[in-house]
Amino acid sequence: MVDGQVVQLPQALLLAAVLALGLVSLLALKLLKSYLSGKQSAQQEPDWSVPVIDADAAGDSLFHRWDVRFKLVALLGFALLVVATRSPWSALIAMLIAFAAVVLARQPLLRSLKRLLAMSGFLGMFLLVMPLTVVSRPEDILLLFSGLEFLPFNLRGLQLALAISGKACAVALLMEPLLATASLPRTVEGLTRLGVPEKVAQMILLAHRYIFVFLEEARRMTTGMQVRGFRPRTSTETLKVMGNFLGMLFVRSFERTHRVYAAMQSRGYQGRFPAPFYFKVTGGDWLHAAIWLLLGVVLLIFDRSGVV
Amino acid sequence: MHDLLRLPPIDFDGPAQFEIRNLQYLYPSGQQALRGIDLSIAAGDRIALVGQNGSGKSTLVKHLNGLLKVQQGELLYQGQALAGEHLRRARLEIGLLFQDPDDQLFCSTLYDDVSFGPLNQGVSLAGMEPLVRQALASVGMEGLIYKPSHHLSYGQKKRAALACLLAMKPQVLILDEPTANLDPGQENILVELLHNYQGTLICITHDLLFAYELCQRAVVLDHGQIHHDYRMAELVAHPPSMREHGLDFSFRLAGLDSHQLPEPQVAAAVPLVCVADKSAEVATSPVVELSDYHYRYADGTQALSGVSFALRAGESVAIVGENGAGKTTLLNCLMGIHNGSGTHLFNGRELDKQQRQLLWRKVGMVFQDPADQLFCASCAEEVAFGPRQLGLPKDEVVRRVDTALERVRLAGYQERVPLHLSGGERKRLAIATVLSMEPELLILDEPTAGLDPQGEELLLEILHELPQTRILVTHDPFLVAQLTQRTLVLHRGKVLQDYSTADFLADQNLQSLNLLALSYKSDCSRQILALQHQHEHSHLHQHFHEHPHRHGEQVHSHAHEHAHEHDHVFTHTHGADSPEHCHQIRGRFHDHSHPGHENEEHEHEHPDD
Amino acid sequence: MHISDGVLPISVVIGSAVASLAIAAWSVRQTDSEDLPKVAVVTASFFVSSLIHVPLGPTSVHLLIPGLVGVLLGPSSFLAILLGLLLQSLLFQFGGLTALGANALMMGFPALLCGLLFNKLRGRTQKQHVIVGGLAGGGGTLLAAALLALLLSSGGEDFFGVAKLALLAHLPVFLVEGLVSAFTVSFLFRVKPELLGQRFSALQQG
Repeated sequence: MVDGQVVQLPQALLLAAVLALGLVSLLALKLLKSYLSGKQSAQQEPDWSVPVIDADAAGDSLFHRWDVRFKLVALLGFALLVVATRSPWSALIAMLIAFAAVVLARQPLLRSLKRLLAMSGFLGMFLLVMPLTVVSRPEDILLLFSGLEFLPFNLRGLQLALAISGKACAVALLMEPLLATASLPRTVEGLTRLGVPEKVAQMILLAHRYIFVFLEEARRMTTGMQVRGFRPRTSTETLKVMGNFLGMLFVRSFERTHRVYAAMQSRGYQGRFPAPFYFKVTGGDWLHAAIWLLLGVVLLIFDRSGVV
Repeated sequence: MHDLLRLPPIDFDGPAQFEIRNLQYLYPSGQQALRGIDLSIAAGDRIALVGQNGSGKSTLVKHLNGLLKVQQGELLYQGQALAGEHLRRARLEIGLLFQDPDDQLFCSTLYDDVSFGPLNQGVSLAGMEPLVRQALASVGMEGLIYKPSHHLSYGQKKRAALACLLAMKPQVLILDEPTANLDPGQENILVELLHNYQGTLICITHDLLFAYELCQRAVVLDHGQIHHDYRMAELVAHPPSMREHGLDFSFRLAGLDSHQLPEPQVAAAVPLVCVADKSAEVATSPVVELSDYHYRYADGTQALSGVSFALRAGESVAIVGENGAGKTTLLNCLMGIHNGSGTHLFNGRELDKQQRQLLWRKVGMVFQDPADQLFCASCAEEVAFGPRQLGLPKDEVVRRVDTALERVRLAGYQERVPLHLSGGERKRLAIATVLSMEPELLILDEPTAGLDPQGEELLLEILHELPQTRILVTHDPFLVAQLTQRTLVLHRGKVLQDYSTADFLADQNLQSLNLLALSYKSDCSRQILALQHQHEHSHLHQHFHEHPHRHGEQVHSHAHEHAHEHDHVFTHTHGADSPEHCHQIRGRFHDHSHPGHENEEHEHEHPDD
Repeated sequence: MHISDGVLPISVVIGSAVASLAIAAWSVRQTDSEDLPKVAVVTASFFVSSLIHVPLGPTSVHLLIPGLVGVLLGPSSFLAILLGLLLQSLLFQFGGLTALGANALMMGFPALLCGLLFNKLRGRTQKQHVIVGGLAGGGGTLLAAALLALLLSSGGEDFFGVAKLALLAHLPVFLVEGLVSAFTVSFLFRVKPELLGQRFSALQQG
């Protein structure tokens, strides 16, 4: 019934492994949390803050000087090539390259770390479930723990999950060099120069801007409910209040859309946003982009040829 | 009956900048917003557009730059109807400042926002940066040029929005409630900026003190019609017509009467005595007491540092301070929403974190913007929400809903939809939602923000009747005088002063600290008071003249005899220390002009005085 | 739950990107061009509402609201969802940038479908609105979960386990979303029924 090479292991080993893993991850999480929360340890209130996309737009590095259009094409192209690889080793190499990019772009690790943390739940599911649920093939190595024979631990599954996590982390690490090194309007303008319709590109900026406004509104409304004794519980009453709350949020946002649009019109909006940017291409931009894409292609070739 | 013979109040030659003839506007809902507006506005006019909430001011203004299409009638801007290319050009010449600056700052950084208009005007990229810098510098925000707007304070946003318009060098500037929610310091900056502005200024406002300072002409709208078109000074000098349009803010001036201290109005006398009497026993058990209280935000901003004060039962205390002084944070701490460090006593018992969570049962707060507090589909549900959370039995909830609604003069509104109510009604509903919980301590955050003077007066009446211990947060010295006996001045998270309201109102130091620019307001108030005073001495006399006038909806014009009350400037003074409004009447007649009908016969003599 | 980078096979990544690009183009065309900025502003409020956590037993779930977006925006909902997901990816790394197409399909398609069904079936009474709205809200989530499972399974047999788990994890959310959507629709029906008409121009005057 079970294909593949079976390696029988004592239960004690599993126990030890689980314990060790658990301890290590617990410790890591603790450290990370205290590191991330830093000064705000006294806070018990829900955190409503939204990170800033272009935190380091005013900085200076190789990535800051890079023309956004080339940056977008090169890094997204590289990301796509990374996603196409299969082995965990290619993923590891991709991660290292991406990490190098973070360092080269002089981006604080903290922000990249937050991005990785945001994916931890989703990737954790893969890491936990895949080794136990992948189909066993003849060449697979299965670890069987005494007493838990019905639940073989497939190393190929672990490998798959690791490859996925590695790739996800590699692409996530690229985000800071890609997004934080130019102002958001500039990045978006780069998108329009690359063929994204201007109106759609402007929608990104508008939506981004008003997230902060509505967050503030939502925060005040939550406070308003709180001071009248509302505490979320698992009950239909809570859901009803949530329904009203969302309804109110939408009503206010729809009303605001009209005012915003009127404000745009009053300042001469005629269907297009004027772009306050210059773009200048240098040979360096081409070279930089070429290097990234080449790196990606080489990585993919090695991956597919089975060298790594 | 209205006297219409006052047009045009300001002489101007040359063509009108705006010429509006018989403008009508019907909302899709069928509600008539404007009926037969006739108005001409000259270049350089400074107009205050006043009237009750819902009188059609915003609708009229939206026509001026073509945001609303003319349905019926005519609107000419520089001689042409607003359409096509002319409309485009007009919009680039007319700046409209929205009430909520967040509507107007729709770009990612201030630079983008300010450059949006000029770029549409065709200003080249090369000249942009100096232009943007100049516009921002004129509102005192040059250093924030690349900041995203969500990092700005409310007052800064308001100024930034104005900078967006100024960068376009507008020929017409239209402002919709420019002073709403600004602290007096910010308001002063705004007034100064607008003083220096050369073009046509049209200003929607409830704040007649502000309008008086800036505008020469007052256009009063009522139910979509222009009821008066006065010189500003004439309007404020005429309480009856202001009252008719719900604009009478004279009640606000009563206290300022000729004397520095609004003593007659400060309810201080009685309560202060009370406090003195009971101090021995009361002082032992204040309702709320904070000592050495600190609060720091997640981002590290120290919002409160070492705040200490106590609040006795039945006391009314005002908390004043500039925007960002930590007032809202302090309120949130008192409500138990924020947990700071330090001692927090309620009814004499120290609160731990869990008990702070329960403070909502004892402390009620009315927010500045009722929209943040109202989220139900009917008024009854809205008011019942709190009592239900308290776990009260059904019939008790119903009883409380009814009493609370009655208290705020909204009896019978049970099934109405809160979102459809007017601004004043929503405010009162928000108060009812808190009253129904029968709190021991009531916190009011800028209770009169956005209300017209009539709404304000009603609200004051309601607030006066409430027995609760109160904390009032406001920028308005008048409200402080009316509603409180004690004042805390908050500055950068610290309690700077804790003294009686009378002392606060007399405190000149605050002005030098630029905390509260009271002097400007009281100056205006006194000027207006003087004008009103003069007017009270006009008298009836008979004469003939032709005279268009209105009977209800009907306007007609024919000569007839009628009693006509003149405005005439009768300059007189009385001693600053005179408590009464007494002055000698020097004969029945005094010299005055008859604007508009000098040559018609008069039934009274003009003695040369 | 959003798919992160590196999970889907490259063919599925590209295929779904092309498909959602096509649908997005259609969605843009269905929207009045002067309403595009308005869709963007409303999207911000959907974004904010998806950050809200609803307690559920010992844990809490955050809302996905594809059904509700569909109910409110109709054909424009796909565009709004694409935009919202892009921003979630850029700001929070919820969902990978390379998987954006797949994520948009997974949430946007249910939104379109629910919007269409709601528009057809909502009738006139409040009761009918609420029931259909609730079904649309819950159904949207269920459909999104099914699509998620389908997309995950595209990686081959090895991924079936994860796909099943993802589907199961969404079941409680389905109930919560259905009820919240029903309440929201009921609120809007009483307070501002124009919003349920899926057209901006109908509510020009607030």
